[in-house]
Amino acid sequence: MKTLKLLALIIIPLGIILAAVPADRIRHFQLTADELLQEAGAGVQFISPDVVADMLVQKDPSLRLIDVRTPEEFDDYSMPGAINVPLSNLLADEYSDILNQNAYVNVFYSNGSVYANQAWMITRQLGYENNLVLEGGLNYWFGNILSPEEPSQTSPNEEFARYDFRKSAAAALGGGGVVSTEPDVPAVKAVKPPVSAKAKKKPSGGC
Amino acid sequence: MGPLAPYEIISENTNFLLAFFIGIAFGWVLESSGFSSSRKLAGIFYGYDAVVLKVFFTGAITCMLGLLFMSLFGWIDLDLVYVNPTYLTSAIIGGVIMGAGFIMGGFCPGTSFCGAAIGKIDAMVFVVGLFIGVYGFAFTYGWWEKLYYANYLGEPKLSEALGMKDGLFGLLLIIVALGMFVVAEWAEKKFPREEY
Amino acid sequence: MSNSKTEERGRRYLNPYVGGVLLGLVLLAANFISGRGLGASGAVKSVVVTTIEAVDKDAINTMPFMADYAESHSGSPMKSWLVFEMLGVIVGGFLSGAIAGRLKLKVEHSPKITSRRRLVFALMGGVLFGFGSQLGRGCTSGSALSGMAVLSMGGFITMMAIFGTAFALAYFFRRNWI
Repeated sequence: MKTLKLLALIIIPLGIILAAVPADRIRHFQLTADELLQEAGAGVQFISPDVVADMLVQKDPSLRLIDVRTPEEFDDYSMPGAINVPLSNLLADEYSDILNQNAYVNVFYSNGSVYANQAWMITRQLGYENNLVLEGGLNYWFGNILSPEEPSQTSPNEEFARYDFRKSAAAALGGGGVVSTEPDVPAVKAVKPPVSAKAKKKPSGGC
Repeated sequence: MGPLAPYEIISENTNFLLAFFIGIAFGWVLESSGFSSSRKLAGIFYGYDAVVLKVFFTGAITCMLGLLFMSLFGWIDLDLVYVNPTYLTSAIIGGVIMGAGFIMGGFCPGTSFCGAAIGKIDAMVFVVGLFIGVYGFAFTYGWWEKLYYANYLGEPKLSEALGMKDGLFGLLLIIVALGMFVVAEWAEKKFPREEY
Repeated sequence: MSNSKTEERGRRYLNPYVGGVLLGLVLLAANFISGRGLGASGAVKSVVVTTIEAVDKDAINTMPFMADYAESHSGSPMKSWLVFEMLGVIVGGFLSGAIAGRLKLKVEHSPKITSRRRLVFALMGGVLFGFGSQLGRGCTSGSALSGMAVLSMGGFITMMAIFGTAFALAYFFRRNWI
């Protein structure tokens, strides 16, 4: 009982201090124009199509693809599991729960990357997190992921590794033709998508 | 500056070595608090010994205070500290199954290793059970896969979900825990056990 | 019972609040150094994966749950943070028990039940806990304790589910303990 009183005497004041300090000292959400410019300049918003392909193949539950094109274009073709949030309606109330959250990794895409990038700029300025832009947009996705071009014989090994990964991803995602790969390349299963150097290491843990 | 490993301030192998030392300290604290005894652990459910409650919540609160203060001083980047993802369905069902295992077996995984280390045969049998259980889950995974991924909520903090600042939530947690400690002290007097 | 009390208990246990603060500091060190909390059941999983792989290399691929885990731990599944940590736990527990004079091969049980009954229940409890920890993505240390320290919602939910169920069922198993 004596120890309990001592414990209470120590932790209650510490708790009060923490409760009293302004929240932004603990974590800051708001972004100044300078910071936004810096982030945009560094290109932190881009996620490589290979990473997205890998997440799709792995059925990563945290991935959410967001199509910012018009509903007509969306009906015509959309990426697997994507939802439609037209850029013109981005700020509508119905979408704020989708864009301002921290359960999913949202990936904006458009045909190129211009519209998707605009969507990112707007949401980022509002202080929203967890929104990314698909690098190269649908054009690159079709041209390079779903129907990858075989590298020339003189290409470095990474090119082949990437080609192999894309090939298997395309097969899993139901695009492109399935042609057997070079016999001397390692088994497809071992191929990991090339991760961009920018990506921060996500903490791992748990049992 | 922290956490050290995700920032690559220390190498992977150093991290593993330090994990071993952290484990030694963990095992030491568990054993010397009495967590190697199943009857002491089970005491919380009958009121005669609340050591689990006291150690468990004091530990969580100490660490929480430490992390929040370190973050306040800029010593640690909380974004790089692992926050368990929340899959609502599997967290609840898994927790219920674990609770049943707790009252039947008298240990949880960490404490059973501790008990086994000092020669408790019941703890060793519990550890054998753990292996069977883990294997059983993997073997029948196909049946539970849907359940395993159902109701994914991301990695929310309870403080955020309640719309509170981390600090304020921490203070409330401290007050609730101290309240439980007072009740526990009372219960230990009310339902005393002969030495066990 | 009271006769053997002094010799069996050895030296006294730590004050629980002191033990709790020490536990918190260990957990804090784990978070500061490795950016993660403590855990236990993950180490069991590593051993299970390794054993299955050693016995039958192909069997692992028929179990997607294990195959994913083996793949995410490049190299050997034994080379994981939790395995090293749990080896430390065994050493630390042994040292503490040795110093306090608590090393003794025995089955601890209520005087009202037999050793055999105690062991049967320990085995059943272990199976349930092993199963539940995989479904719930972590046990009392990995999910409940470490999760609560970082204010994870999942940690609080798992903690309440574990202790709530155990309290609810306590009445039916009272003979085993008191």
